[in-house]
Amino acid sequence: MGLLTIIKKLKARERETRILMLGLDNAGKTTILKRINGEDISTISPTLGFNIKTLEHKGYKLNIWDVGGQKSIRTYWRNYFEQTDGLVWVVDSADRPDRLEDCKRELKELLKEERLAGASLLIFANKQDLSTALSFEQIKDLLELDSIQTHHWHIEGCSAVTGKNLLAGMDWIVDDIASRMFSLD
Amino acid sequence: MQFLCSQAGYRLVQFLEFSIKNEDTNEMLFQLKRPEIPLNWEDIDPAEEGRTVNYKFPISFLQAKNIGTTLTFAVGPKELSSFRMIERHYFRDRLLKSFDFTFGFCIPNTVNTWEHIYEVPALDEKTKKEMVLSPGQTVSDSFYFVDNKLVLHNKASYSYC
Repeated sequence: MGLLTIIKKLKARERETRILMLGLDNAGKTTILKRINGEDISTISPTLGFNIKTLEHKGYKLNIWDVGGQKSIRTYWRNYFEQTDGLVWVVDSADRPDRLEDCKRELKELLKEERLAGASLLIFANKQDLSTALSFEQIKDLLELDSIQTHHWHIEGCSAVTGKNLLAGMDWIVDDIASRMFSLD
Repeated sequence: MQFLCSQAGYRLVQFLEFSIKNEDTNEMLFQLKRPEIPLNWEDIDPAEEGRTVNYKFPISFLQAKNIGTTLTFAVGPKELSSFRMIERHYFRDRLLKSFDFTFGFCIPNTVNTWEHIYEVPALDEKTKKEMVLSPGQTVSDSFYFVDNKLVLHNKASYSYC
């Protein structure tokens, strides 16, 4: 229950916190979601719809939505933007160059979305355990993250298989959401 | 109490799997899986049997502090613009726990999961003992709404032994 220690920071907030996890198919979204909660990741099949994880603790709630990334499903992503506090964009750092181009294009489209305007953005440069993976700095350059002016963003090189940096990333986004809400009060 | 609607909702959404896990020990407490038969969205069996499930849990179930429930459901050929579940658990007349979750939009022809991790409501030992001694008096009602219309109502009762 590693996430529990993190969501305690959200205590001050009344309404539910909503984190949306998106990315191309096979980026590792579902594996990340399962791994951060210490679940078995040996049998994960492509997500056709969504997987939601709700953590409820002393009256406050964190909802994480993992929506499938296959091309046919991407057109439905917009149905899940409403009231999103944090967007987690998952990248397969060992993906083919043309797929990484798709990845960059899809992310740029998302960032134009009005309903995601207030959301904190965490980029998981996943699959760092693979020898062919680009480093998180290379992913940062490739996705042109430095040009993002509209969102608080942060990139974390991670591995859903080893668990490396997953909690660090979630910690950042929950912190960022919490501090933003605090400054609004 | 009677059921408050027909089972027409099974043309829209069907349940595939339900499991309960002790989050502190990672122990699977309960798992119910539908046999892998092709889903039928046209001819819904109107039989009332099966609408009430009787669960039997080991007594140790009542000692779990944090549990995670996972519901897996399929959405039929029609998209759901808004899907919501409300569930209430009672022991006799006492409300133990109430759930209200809005799934919102559901993509047609998909399989979706919802895992809910929460603290079990604290019960005193006397109540727990009474629950063990009163099989079937711990009950729940599950209501499912599509576009604010009640489309499914199921019941469950619980025994601990």
